[in-house]
Order: sequence, then structure tokens, then C-alpha cells
Amino acid sequence: MKKIAFKTLGCRLNQYETDALASRFHSGSYEIVNYSEQADIYVINTCTVTNQSDQKSRQTINQPAKINKDAIVVVTGCMANNYKDSLLETNNISYVVDNERKSSIYSIIESHFRGEAADPEGFDKDLFNYDAAYKTFHTRSMIKIQDGCDNFCTFCIIPKVRGRATSRPAEDIYNNIREVLNYGFKEIVLTGVNIGRYKDQTTDFEQLVENILNLPGDFRLRISSIEPDGFTDRFFELFKHPKLTPHLHLCLQSGSESILLKMRRMYTAKQFSSMANRLKALYPDFNLTTDIIVGFPGETEEEFEKTVSLAKSLSFSHIHTFKYSVRSGTRAERMQEHIPEKLKNHRSAIIRTISEENKRNYILQMIGKKQRLLVERIGSDGFARGYGENYIPVKVKSKHLEKNQFVDVIITGHDKNFDGIAILA
Amino acid sequence: MSNDNLHDLLSITHLTDSAYILKMSRRGLQFRAGQHILLGKAGSIHNREYSIYSGDTEDFIEVLVKEVEDGLVSKQLKKSKPGEKMQIEGPLGFFTIEPELIKTAKFLFIATGSGIAPFHSFANSYPDINYKVLHGIRHGNEAYGKKDFDAEKYISCTSGDKSGDYHGRVTDYIKQHPVTPDSHCYLCGNFNMIHEVFDLLEQQSVHPDQIHAEVYF
Repeated sequence: MKKIAFKTLGCRLNQYETDALASRFHSGSYEIVNYSEQADIYVINTCTVTNQSDQKSRQTINQPAKINKDAIVVVTGCMANNYKDSLLETNNISYVVDNERKSSIYSIIESHFRGEAADPEGFDKDLFNYDAAYKTFHTRSMIKIQDGCDNFCTFCIIPKVRGRATSRPAEDIYNNIREVLNYGFKEIVLTGVNIGRYKDQTTDFEQLVENILNLPGDFRLRISSIEPDGFTDRFFELFKHPKLTPHLHLCLQSGSESILLKMRRMYTAKQFSSMANRLKALYPDFNLTTDIIVGFPGETEEEFEKTVSLAKSLSFSHIHTFKYSVRSGTRAERMQEHIPEKLKNHRSAIIRTISEENKRNYILQMIGKKQRLLVERIGSDGFARGYGENYIPVKVKSKHLEKNQFVDVIITGHDKNFDGIAILA
Repeated sequence: MSNDNLHDLLSITHLTDSAYILKMSRRGLQFRAGQHILLGKAGSIHNREYSIYSGDTEDFIEVLVKEVEDGLVSKQLKKSKPGEKMQIEGPLGFFTIEPELIKTAKFLFIATGSGIAPFHSFANSYPDINYKVLHGIRHGNEAYGKKDFDAEKYISCTSGDKSGDYHGRVTDYIKQHPVTPDSHCYLCGNFNMIHEVFDLLEQQSVHPDQIHAEVYF
């Protein structure tokens, strides 16, 4: 039996696609092993969203040669789209497969071992042709509903590497969810590049979510990262449904109106605040997390302070902080007044500190409150660990719990890292 | 709809020394007024975003280009000759009007310079639309497409001389002529104008959901 190892960098969409590929190889009688182990095939699902992502991707691509120099190395993901030519010239890479053909990697490898032509360019493009993943690296099942983005934010390379916005047919999504529920998954996470723009004929994002919530089964639904534009009243109402988890990763990027305009975001800071405050007013324990970019070209101290102010007032329990990095081919590349790295580091540290403070406050706020834990693993220390519906990490000491089990708990305290601690209710 | 994204350049009309209109074959390209395209010369790896200038019922597609002094693509495009192939990606963007509002709502379009392009497309696509357009320019000869708007609905605001309908910036005009809160406001053009007008409109009680912006860099 041939051994295959996967490594995923970047977003949840990549994770979903890797999970689906792993399931396909597993059902095709390949043995899936850890990336650090000896394997016959290594698949690296890369990311290119920042310079750091590029570096990590390149380091990861170079690892297999140190373990098995004869292994087949397949590079896919956004870096494969963005740097295809240079990757093709790299000696230790066997195949470079773009995002549009990622779902064909199983067929490419099978062709390779049959001694047939396996040029990826000869395989069909299909963004959604993935099997329902039963062999995943996660307890949650990610479901791809959309790909690509038409927003063209000035800092972002994603429209170039993921292409135009495309929505998966709604019926395919419902069938995919039914399949993974049959496999036993209890949490569904919707993924895509810009899922709020989902549109399949008359089904928009809100309708899609409502239809999914009405599917039978003991599961919960999580909306992952979403752009804060185009929400109607109906969107806010959806969170009344007990299956929809009260958590959103709502990408702010900046608290400054002028920087948001330069980023060409589709909302203002005031609109963002209004949305966030409305969610908090309707659902007081709602968990908001976000992305913030510091050091966008021309960002003044005053503009950065606006971000600081909003990061504090909106109490994001986690802020994924990015230092702006130039992406070739974006509009921001041609902007003036790029910010020195030292200043970006300084601003990044300030936002990270706020994030930690907010996280502490949020966990403290949750003490004494009920959460429905989905157990993800049982540690050797006897603790069952997982996440509550509000996406706070929870651990419970119990001899009777099993992986992938829902259990109601009361948050009783926190550990030194402010990860939640709970006892059985 | 064409299978490739190559369109014939039908004509190039120079409006001033630095502004020109490219008219291209449409080849079935469907778009909504207000959207933009990525345009470059066929075979070139360089392209730029341009709002569509023509109406959605025309059998051609037009863009209004302002040559950028140290730019690349705007200079390349300016040298193009009719018959050359142009590469179009798109249409893209969400700077559009909700169909149910077109016949019922009151619109204020505020542009600077070549930011008039999407409003030219709105006015040509929706002949019955209830609008007023404020066009901020330095001199009267930059009133691109003025003749295509209803004369009573178009106000040029010239900051460099008195040749316009109003002498001053669009922001000055708005301060002197407050906008009614029921207006749906569309802003297109340079960053500073949009930033300032946004604040003014909010001060004048226009709800942020009724303000839409497309920034030109």
C-alpha cells in the first residue's frame, strides 16, 4: 500500500480541500501518514496571501526531499497559481497543480503510477468536484460553498489566484452535508473565499444558511470567515436558530474610514460597528473575532489609533493580526508611503496585546454560563477538549466522554492561557 | 457571449490631451451599469480597472480613460488603433443600483474627473431614472459626456476657473445645497472627495446604507 502525506497552509478552504483529497486517497487504498514521516507521495496545499505564507510554503515544499528524495511531491494551492513558472523549474517538485484542478490530484497520481501521461494541464478544471470528506484531520466538517472573489480589495492577491466568484449549486451543498452527517460529523463549517456573496439562482447566502439549518439531524452550523457587507435583517435573525453557532469571524482590516477606502473595502468603519453592536445587542455573549491589517501604505498614527479604538470597543475575542505585505499585481503595490517594517512590528504588537486582553475579558464573561461542548479529543491527562458553540476552547475532566460527542457544560474558570475550563453541568 | 475575452477596438475619441474614450465591440458581454472591467491590450500581462462608460443597451462597450502621468496601461491604451484587439476581464464590482429602486428612488451621483463614467452608464441604461449629477473638475473642458446627460440634471463644479455651472468643489456645493435624507448617493472618483463627501452626507442625515462609493486611484 502506498503512503501519502498532506500538509495544508492557510485558510479553511484549503483545509476542506485537503480533507476531501485525503478521503479520496484513503478510499483508494492509500495509507495516510504524517507529513514528517516517510511517504511515497507528499501533497502540499500552499498559501500565498502574505510574504510569510510564501516563506512557509517554500519551507514546507523543501521538507520531503530530506525524508524521501524519491517521493512524488505535488504542490497545489494559491502559490501554485501565483508562482507556477518558478515552481515548475524547481527540481524536487513533481507536479504543480493549480486551484482549478486541485480536485484532480487523485487522478493525476493514479495516472502517474499507471505510467500514463499525468500532465495536470490535461485534467479538467472543476472547483467543486470533491468527494464528501469522511477521513479528515478535524472533528468539524468543512463544506465548500463558494470559491473566488470579485471584490478586488487593493491589498489582496486572492482574486488573482482563486479567480472570479463562483457559487456551488445549493443542492450539491445539501447533499454534501447529508453525506457528512451520515458519516457522523456533528459540526458543519461553511467555507469559501467570500461566502457572503453566495448566489445560486434564487438562493442567496441567507437562504442557503436557513435551508441548511432546516436539514434534519443533531448537528450545529458554523459560519466561518465572512466579509461584513450585504447583511440584511434576516441575517441577524438567523442566529436565533439553535443550530447556528453564535460566532462570526468578521473581517474588519482597519478601523480607519480612510484606510478602508484605500483598501477598497465594501463597508465603512461605522457600518461595521453598527453590525457588530447589533449582534452584541441581540445576543450578548456573541463571539466576534476578526482580521486586522496593520501598516497598510500611508497608514498614519491617527489612522492606526482608530483601529486600536475599534479593536477595544468591539471587544473582538481574537484578532488575527497581519502586517501588510506587498503582493505583486495588486493595486496597493503601486501605492506610495509604504510603512517601515519596524513600525509595522510595533503596531502589530499593540493589536496583539489588545487581542489578549479582549480574550481574557471574554472568557471571564463566559464563566458561569452554559456551553455545548463538542469533544474533539481525549488527552492522556484525562481531559476531554473541544469547543463550545461560542467557539471558546473548553476542557472537561471526565472518564465517560467520547470523541465527537456533544455535552452540556458550565464554564467554571480559566487556565493560565485563558482557555476555558468547564465541568459537567 | 464570446468564448475568448478579446474585443475589437472600434474607435478612440480624444476628449482632452489626457482623457479619451475607447469604444470596443461588445461581443455579448453582459454587465450591469456601474460595473467595471479589467482592460489591457491583447497579449499584454498588464491591465487596469475601468468603469464601463456606455449604457447596457448599446451594442458596443466604452470606457473613459484618464491618462496617468507616470502610468503604464493608460499610455499603452492611448496609442491603440482601431482594429486592434483588446483583452477584457469581467464585468466586476457591486457599484450598481438595485433594480427595484431604479424607477422609484431619487439619486444623487457625485463624481470627480473620469469618475463620471459609471454615472454616464447609469443615465444611458436607465432613461427614466430620477437623478442629479455633480461633476467635480478643474476646468470646463473636463466635463466629459456632459451632452449625454439631461442638462437640467447635470451640474459641473469647476475648481480651477468659473467655466462650470458652479465655481468650487463638489464638497462646497453640497455644503451650500444640502442633500435630502431620502437621496441614494453614489460617489465615484478620487479618494479625498469620497472621504469628505461621506462625512458631509452623514452630517446631512443621509443614512450610510444609502451611500455607495467607488474609489479611483
